[in-house]
Amino acid sequence: MSREERKPLNPMLIYLLRRMCFLLATFFVFMIIIFSLPRMIPGNPLAILLRDILNRMTLQPETIKEIERKLFEQYGLDKPVYIQFVDFVSRIFKGDLGISFYFRIPVAEVIFSRIPWTLMLLVPSTIVSWIIGNFLGAIAAYKRGKATDNILMSIFLTLSQVPYYWLAMILLFIFAVRYEIFPLGGTWDTSRFITPSLTLEFITDYLAHYILPFASIVLSAIGGWAIGMRVMAIYELGSDYVVYSDSLGLKDSKILEYVFRNSILPQITGLALNFGSVVGGQLLTELVFNYRGMGRILYDSINKLDYPLIEGIFIILISTLLIANLIVDFIYAYLDPRVRTGYAEA
Amino acid sequence: MFKIKKFTFSISVLVVVILVALVGPPLYPKLNLSLYAGTPDTPPSNEFPLGTDRNGRDILSHLLIGIRTSLYVGVIATIIALTIGILVGSFAGFKGGVIDEILMMITNIIYTLPAILLMILIASYLKERSPLFVSIVIGVTSWPWLARAVRAQIMSLKEREFVQMSKMSGLKGYEIIFKDLLPNMASYIFMSVALLLSISMLAEAGLSMIGAGIDPSTESSLGVMLQRAQQGEAIRLGRWWCFVPPGIVLVLITTSLLMLSTSIDEYFNPRLRGGK
Repeated sequence: MSREERKPLNPMLIYLLRRMCFLLATFFVFMIIIFSLPRMIPGNPLAILLRDILNRMTLQPETIKEIERKLFEQYGLDKPVYIQFVDFVSRIFKGDLGISFYFRIPVAEVIFSRIPWTLMLLVPSTIVSWIIGNFLGAIAAYKRGKATDNILMSIFLTLSQVPYYWLAMILLFIFAVRYEIFPLGGTWDTSRFITPSLTLEFITDYLAHYILPFASIVLSAIGGWAIGMRVMAIYELGSDYVVYSDSLGLKDSKILEYVFRNSILPQITGLALNFGSVVGGQLLTELVFNYRGMGRILYDSINKLDYPLIEGIFIILISTLLIANLIVDFIYAYLDPRVRTGYAEA
Repeated sequence: MFKIKKFTFSISVLVVVILVALVGPPLYPKLNLSLYAGTPDTPPSNEFPLGTDRNGRDILSHLLIGIRTSLYVGVIATIIALTIGILVGSFAGFKGGVIDEILMMITNIIYTLPAILLMILIASYLKERSPLFVSIVIGVTSWPWLARAVRAQIMSLKEREFVQMSKMSGLKGYEIIFKDLLPNMASYIFMSVALLLSISMLAEAGLSMIGAGIDPSTESSLGVMLQRAQQGEAIRLGRWWCFVPPGIVLVLITTSLLMLSTSIDEYFNPRLRGGK
């Protein structure tokens, strides 16, 4: 399978270039989808958009005219389709995502005011669940077939199948409604008139609101990581090099170290990839806990038919995801000797 | 096969759920799907075994119908995803060359965009909200992983002798795919069906929860019931009967489906049975 021998750096560069082209192509396809969707609504798209806006709020006739003019401008509907598309893409690259129908301020502003809150919730919880999940998964693999493994696996399997938003509902119900240990949701206590700041008062209040959504994401993600790690580790444990090292009389701990190192690699990829998709996969946690992040505004924008905002959120989410993919590719190329030497691609 | 406990257990759960969905509604004497069927927000009682929600809907009636809708969405979406996945995967794997490159390029592009995001995006623009439409949206976005897996299997199978024989005897490409290759992957395809069913039922619930799924004013599904509970603040008001039953049913179905697929896998790959 190995390609012709060249200078050591070449295969890696080729691999990264290929991946970059692929991700650009993906971004392009995504642009086409998001560009054509509003244009696929039958009838005059502007009239339908306007009707939707009017269904949701009462507006003065002047304002309606104003919005229509804005929409017309925004979609450039008088120009040929390919020019509309070029305009659309260049507008996005300039960071102009349009004006939110509902908030009446630029979409980019709405989104960037919420992103930090989402990141603060998702990044730590994802890392924590990854660490715990891999650790427990490795234990289950080592004890495979025994009671520990069986118990752990049934917990993981169930956890991985529980819809995360339902788990969130149950946690909220038990710990905030039944036992009143934690607040009933929100990001901070708005009734106490405190504003986000680095004071002790705000931070403790924020943490009290933070623990439940955090725990809910950690719990719902552990199962998947653990199952993945267990499968990888069991596969490695049954492979020839382990049998061989074992027959050579190598210490168990040494073998386990090799096994762990080989099975953690795909998990690292998974972690990096997951940072992109976790945003999509945990949108509803914020909704259940009424936490002010991206998921919350995506829900609002869908239900208020705020199309510029929906579009903007998706552009940001998908771009983040693709950038995360690219970073994974770099890490992968660096970590996996097979990619470095041009033996295989992901 | 029934010797594997997991298999027996998961199959029995699934059969019970399907039976409930099919004969439950006609057998439940007080089936009433209308609003204000009873006093709003009453806990489970003799009259309403699972209580009522904010709008006086009888939860049990909606649960019985909801299971039906969710299963329907799962089945339709699975059929669509399975068809696309197998066709794309087997053609790419069997033909190779340029066709393979193009098909896999498309597959990988869709694979890279998370299915749930694509579904939300499509559903939020095309405001059709029927179960059939939701199934189609789920089906056309959840096939890429299957296509990749099928392609990989076909690639390894097509080098085997019996395929070479078929080729020499002049069988056409699609005949080889359908008569030689796919039957050899039957166990894998069964597994995929179970996984696809579980994925699509979860996707339906997620879509409905975020407001891009089935129309909650006309139809009930497990996801719609959770969405109503969420919107009606059932959790904060402590109305557990609004969101616990649909969630439990959903978890029961998806967990059994996952167990089913792992037990099929164990049956056909004895190596996985490990220490026994």
